[in-house]
Amino acid sequence: MAGLLEFDGLSRRFGTVTALDDLSFSVPSGQVVGFLGPNGAGKTTTMRAVFGLTDLDAGSVRWNGMPVGATQRRRFGYMPEERGLYPNMLVAEEVEYLGRLHGMDRSSAATATKQWLERLDVADRATSKVEALSHGNQQRVQLAAALVHDPEMLVLDEPLAGLDPTGIDAIGEVLVEQAHAGRCVLFSSHQLDLVENLCGSVVIIDHGRLVARGTVDELATSGPRRLAVRVEGDRQGTWAQGIPGVTVSEVDGGEVRLVLDDATDSDVVLEAARSAGRVTEFVIERRRLSEVFREAVGR
Amino acid sequence: MKALPIVLAALGVVLLVRLGLRRRGRRRSSPLSMPTRGLRGTGLLGITGLVAGREIRERVRGRVLRVVTLILFAVVAAAVVIPTIHTGTTTRQRVGVVAGSPALDAELQKLATTVGLPVELVHEPDLSAARAALSTGKLDMVVDGGTRILVQNPISTADTSTEALYVRGVATALGAQETFARAGLTPEQAAAVAEAKPLPVESVNPGKQARTTEEATALIGVILIFIVLTQYLTWTLMGVMEEKASRVVEVLLATVRPGQLLAGKVAGIGVVALVQAVALVAFALVLAKVVGSGLVHGAAPLVVVATLVWLVLGYAFYSWVYAAAGSLAERQDQVQSLALPLSAPLIFGYIVSLIGVSSGNASLLVKVLAYLPPTAPFAMPTLVGFGEVTWWQFLLSVVVSVVCTVMVALVAARVYRTAVLRTGGRVRLRELVPTLAK
Repeated sequence: MAGLLEFDGLSRRFGTVTALDDLSFSVPSGQVVGFLGPNGAGKTTTMRAVFGLTDLDAGSVRWNGMPVGATQRRRFGYMPEERGLYPNMLVAEEVEYLGRLHGMDRSSAATATKQWLERLDVADRATSKVEALSHGNQQRVQLAAALVHDPEMLVLDEPLAGLDPTGIDAIGEVLVEQAHAGRCVLFSSHQLDLVENLCGSVVIIDHGRLVARGTVDELATSGPRRLAVRVEGDRQGTWAQGIPGVTVSEVDGGEVRLVLDDATDSDVVLEAARSAGRVTEFVIERRRLSEVFREAVGR
Repeated sequence: MKALPIVLAALGVVLLVRLGLRRRGRRRSSPLSMPTRGLRGTGLLGITGLVAGREIRERVRGRVLRVVTLILFAVVAAAVVIPTIHTGTTTRQRVGVVAGSPALDAELQKLATTVGLPVELVHEPDLSAARAALSTGKLDMVVDGGTRILVQNPISTADTSTEALYVRGVATALGAQETFARAGLTPEQAAAVAEAKPLPVESVNPGKQARTTEEATALIGVILIFIVLTQYLTWTLMGVMEEKASRVVEVLLATVRPGQLLAGKVAGIGVVALVQAVALVAFALVLAKVVGSGLVHGAAPLVVVATLVWLVLGYAFYSWVYAAAGSLAERQDQVQSLALPLSAPLIFGYIVSLIGVSSGNASLLVKVLAYLPPTAPFAMPTLVGFGEVTWWQFLLSVVVSVVCTVMVALVAARVYRTAVLRTGGRVRLRELVPTLAK
């Protein structure tokens, strides 16, 4: 079920506002791809473009090298930012109906609906009206609706917003499971810690342009290397002063945080620390995704 | 003979609708495998049928439909039964006769038969006894020989009841006999004069004959069309608005084309409307047969069929307009501000036709409105009720309506596609002009 979703040179203007500015990136299958950006960066417009819900001034969206059309879209699953379900319909009927709109026959849709409602722990509300459910449970039903037809590709706009930890775990688990099963999964979120935990790779956009992309490991270890070192008996970190190619960024209770330039090896720092006393902490620090994000968008 | 082509045309339209539904039903029931394997088998009608099916299911499940249907059935039952109750409950009149004769009795019975009033003649010994019986209500009227008539209360000249007609008829007939006797006519001569019939009056222009039953049926039909159209068009308007407001339209349009979604909604609500109307009409016809109403006599069934045909055509024309308008709004108050201008031509056609059918005269305005799609659903059944339309005129109006409906549907689909995904306030039509002009 391997697939590749490609965004190629997407541009879209709304009046004087540029929502997308020659945006290009791809989403491979087999991993959850986090789609990040500040509010108004163009994430939702990009996701809507996959489903033809917004017109593009330029560019195209391709699935496995082919332009995305109605046939492809019926094999995609979509969870929009502003949740969309008929409030008066019964939960199971609604999920089944949406499955049938994707081409499932009645019995397959009914079976898949039952399975997904059970999997997402809302089976006991199958005969309730959607409007009678809590926000979190409606979110689970919305995810069931996006998954019921066994899509090859999932696009989820803020699927974790407003959920409690249990809901986040349940939905996050499903997303990872879907990716591991070979689906393409693209989801946006402002909860960067969750993205860091769930995603294999990340795409960051700002003002409709791509500003960073890569695997979480690549982004976390890119840029200047950072060390956190603690030497017994030296709470001021004086041992670290004057090491060529090393800058002290912070000293906090004896822990010294250092930034190394490209030419400086971490062994140089380790030697200097050992010569000053017993080294009780020596950590090569990864950048948090939030740091990567702030650096990428310049805010 | 003039009616036959109209009936055939109407049946043709109904058959086409039924065939369309059957095809949709077949497509709906044709099983597809899982989506990634079976998507290619789903055609336009399949998706549209699914959307229509949901609309039908949800509408039928709702309490509003049941309540409105019950009220409509009660109104139709009253409209059919009450007129027959009125004519059938005339009570037997007790007529006191003083100084009577077999000839007078025969005359009184004959007049009673003429006006359709059952009477019982009671011979009183004298006038005072008759007066006493009249005062106590034992008698309804007294004929004092051939000289005068006594009644309990004065009879207004505006009173058109059968009893009043009988009293006036007796007074006139006996007065004439009295005059004939004074003029010296023999009983045979008097009888010959009494049998005199008025000369026939003919107009040089071909005027309409009395068609009160057909006109009454047309009146009921026009009211039925107005009620059903108002109800279901409002549902269409609200349904589209609610899909937009709840954002479910974004999920739907991610996999369904706007035209499919719009057509499914219009068709689904239309089917419910048609089934309700057909059920009402069938109920009215059966009830009319049972109670002996004039609804099933003469050309009235033709008016009924014309009513159903124009209900379908009227809904088809307006539903696209209302659906497109619904896509412009995302709140109840916005819908209300849209509903008034939309309903203006509908109300205009209804009122003009109602006035026409009530006055018993199809005005030139009604005849013109019968060819304009927004007003034809009311004006054309009115003309059919008056018998003032030929089969080709009927068919011409149908063709004009169908062509205009197709054009309106195309524009409505474009408005819908552009407006339904725009959020953040009511979409103004002028905002859509650049998109529509492309």
